[in-house]
Amino acid sequence: MRKDMKLNDIPKRNVHQVPEGYFDRLPMQIMERTARREQVTATAWYASLWRPVRHAMAPLILLLMFVGIYFFNIQQNQQQEMVTTVASLSDEEIMVYLDTYAQVETADFEEHSLADQDLAVEFLNVSSTTAEEELEYYKINDLDY
Amino acid sequence: MEDKELLEKFANPESRNMAFNQLVRKYQQKVYWHIRKMVIDHDDTDDLTQEVFVKIWKNLENFRKDAQLYTWIYRIATNECLSFLSSKKRKFFLPINDVTAELMEKIESSPDIAGDEVQLKLQKAILKLPDKQRLVFNMKYFDDMKYEEMSEILGTSVGALKASYHIAVKKIEEYLKQD
Repeated sequence: MRKDMKLNDIPKRNVHQVPEGYFDRLPMQIMERTARREQVTATAWYASLWRPVRHAMAPLILLLMFVGIYFFNIQQNQQQEMVTTVASLSDEEIMVYLDTYAQVETADFEEHSLADQDLAVEFLNVSSTTAEEELEYYKINDLDY
Repeated sequence: MEDKELLEKFANPESRNMAFNQLVRKYQQKVYWHIRKMVIDHDDTDDLTQEVFVKIWKNLENFRKDAQLYTWIYRIATNECLSFLSSKKRKFFLPINDVTAELMEKIESSPDIAGDEVQLKLQKAILKLPDKQRLVFNMKYFDDMKYEEMSEILGTSVGALKASYHIAVKKIEEYLKQD
């Protein structure tokens, strides 16, 4: 190679080669690629809409679980308090309460179906004297309907 | 088909595919060779060329009609090349010289490259240039592009391009003198 070689002395040549028929196939490959990209774009809006919902789902479920547990605990505490309060009442206090507020209504009987055999037997085994005493005790005649 | 007519047909959804196909056929070789001279490897060039045309497809609607279509296409291809080369350097944590060495190895061993000793030495000399200077050299020396057109594509002043090309030629000639 000459030591004083200039760029202009070298003929311009493209030394790179391409596989045979490459430029005949390339347009088709490009068209296929654009078509695939179009499909991706078409489904992308749906995915972008669904993505935030999907991301919010886990914290939403956790929040609902906490809220559920919170209200369940409140209810449990209220029931527990009620049981404790009732248990602490003396028999006399209960009798005074029932004497003042308890009124037997038709709806109360509906709660006890005839199918409830134990209750029916217990009820039928009461002697007529006891039943009269009971009626006398609740002063049915004084009830204002 | 003229660029103006291609753009009009592309704007119409019914003739869009046909117009784009025509556009690809018209510009595929210019884009391919522009990229190939920068990235050397055929497979990389093939992938980048397809990516350039996908970008053209996506953005052609927003193309300003007052600009030259081929200038706009060249700019997309140039950006793809430079991004590819810089990502290649970042990806493998390689200094610039190692990427250059890899490309030089391809010049020597690739079956897709054919040329005599002088031609191959010229290719190696070009690879020694920094990427942007190599781009300027390729566009001027091989594509015979006007400095004004290059200025529009690269967003650089004509004076800077002339200086860059002059320096590139000097560097290449220095390399050619070496054994």
